[in-house]
Amino acid sequence: MGLYSSFIGRKFKHIAGKKYEDIIKHYREFLLTEEERQIPEINSILMPLDRYVKNVPEEVYETISAYEARILLVYILDSQVFELVRQTLSPEASEEFRRKEEVMGEELLNNVAKKLESYGLKVQRRMFFGNKSDDVIRMAENYDMLAISKNYGSEITKTSPISPLVLKIIQHLEIPVIVY
Amino acid sequence: MTPLEIFALAVFIFTYALIISERIHRTVAAMAGGSLVLLANIVPWEKVPLYLDLDTILLLAGMMIIVNTTRLSGLFEYIAIKTAKLAKGEPIRVLLLFSVVTALISAFLDNVTTVLLLTPMLIYISRLMEVNPLPFLLSEIFASNIGGTATLIGDPPNIMIGSAAGLSFNEFLVNMGPIAFLDLILMVFVVYLAYRGTLKISPEKKERILRTLEGLDERAAIRDLPLFRKSIVTIVIVVLFFFVHDKLGIEPAVVALFGASLLLFWSRENPEGILEKVEWATLFFFGGLFLIVGSLVETGFIGQIAQWVTSHVHTEGEAMLVIAWFSALASAVIDNIPFTATMIPLIKAMETSLNTYPLWWALSLGACLGGNGTAIGASANVVVIGIAAREDIRITFMDFLKIGMLIMVLTVGAGVGILWLRYVWW
Repeated sequence: MGLYSSFIGRKFKHIAGKKYEDIIKHYREFLLTEEERQIPEINSILMPLDRYVKNVPEEVYETISAYEARILLVYILDSQVFELVRQTLSPEASEEFRRKEEVMGEELLNNVAKKLESYGLKVQRRMFFGNKSDDVIRMAENYDMLAISKNYGSEITKTSPISPLVLKIIQHLEIPVIVY
Repeated sequence: MTPLEIFALAVFIFTYALIISERIHRTVAAMAGGSLVLLANIVPWEKVPLYLDLDTILLLAGMMIIVNTTRLSGLFEYIAIKTAKLAKGEPIRVLLLFSVVTALISAFLDNVTTVLLLTPMLIYISRLMEVNPLPFLLSEIFASNIGGTATLIGDPPNIMIGSAAGLSFNEFLVNMGPIAFLDLILMVFVVYLAYRGTLKISPEKKERILRTLEGLDERAAIRDLPLFRKSIVTIVIVVLFFFVHDKLGIEPAVVALFGASLLLFWSRENPEGILEKVEWATLFFFGGLFLIVGSLVETGFIGQIAQWVTSHVHTEGEAMLVIAWFSALASAVIDNIPFTATMIPLIKAMETSLNTYPLWWALSLGACLGGNGTAIGASANVVVIGIAAREDIRITFMDFLKIGMLIMVLTVGAGVGILWLRYVWW
């Protein structure tokens, strides 16, 4: 059998040459690796929202609903922005800004929660002052998945189709992320 | 025998021995043998263009350029992923769909390229399904050889036969197409029967595989979208031209060269890069081989064998049976290209006493399908077994022989039956 194997090996080399190596290299670029093939167990999902997340597409609800996980909707008010408004305008202007932001946040949280609950999912809501990227990275450690809008933290442009904040967050995480 | 006849025969036998043993590259063996018969002036220089069979060489070169340019677009990987997704993680569907796709691509493009491009995907899926990859790889080999039988451009022996006998693309399709179709069904059925025990997976596993396959994006395989579209258009044009080449009075080689030029011109790909990838070694192998066989014709050796054969075979039916089965058995153990190169002048020499038209089909049938008989019967077999070995999948000579011989006997038997009905009984 050793002779047969070396015979086939020699013929294969003559017939296929190095073509197979090129082909297999190209396949590796788009086939899933062993690690990627493992379907992760998702019991909890973190879903950050903010003023830039105008709406959540229907497909995202459908995808998330497939996991039957508990979901935490979190709306982070940027404390640095409030501090800047307070220092540059006035404490009253800052208070007015906070009030409007909270109303907007409550509305978005309610809408998204309602939609998720309509799929039979358990949803929790939180709103707090903090740092939009650092707090998400810290909280995500206790969750199995992150679902985040590509607009989170700032508007996107044609040249930057994903916000810098989202880019920073996903670079720091090891859990699966849905970017919508 | 004259000294020249003995020398020509010695060169022929020695070259074949070198090709079979693979001690040196088969191209080097053929080129050395070819130059020896030229040096000895057995084949006179002015007859070189006659024996070199430029139809075959240029047709192969043209198709190689088309395939090598198309490969850059990612079209074949796209087809592989699309097929994998269509199979939906069901082993029997994978077996059937990949066999059909392999046969279809092999009917129009060369078998080695087809299996080189489809095997990685087949191995990936069988690993995903956690089933024995053997039936899938074997059916791919068989399908590529069966698909190649169907058309004039499907397999090198067919190109050689078509060129030597002046047979058109449509004649091949009408005569060999139905045989290939029936043989493909037979083959899938036999492989399924032989390996049905290993082709079962649980519904849960199927669901998981389906999810993974759905996650693959066939569009990601497209490396160059404009080239992808241009390649498809060119292949369609070339195939359409093949259908009407005899009515237009154009040689198949001209169609292939036109397609190759059109694609190179339209795609603006670097011709030097593409031409470098043309398998010049194969083309020179053909050239050398044709000259060696030409030397046997020149010395009258082929004519004597033909006379001997025709004196023992009395009807076309008998000759058809002998040629089909002899070609099948010979192609199972030796390279079918040199074998066909030797048989062509032999059949041509029989023209004086027999109607050779059905004999060409018998030769095509045996030379192409005989390759399924053993692990070394055809290039596609060697390539797939080589790839499998690299991926730690062992296909032994006996593994192959057990089912390969059965497939060969069944497919050649069915083919001979159809030819018999058509040309003898009808």
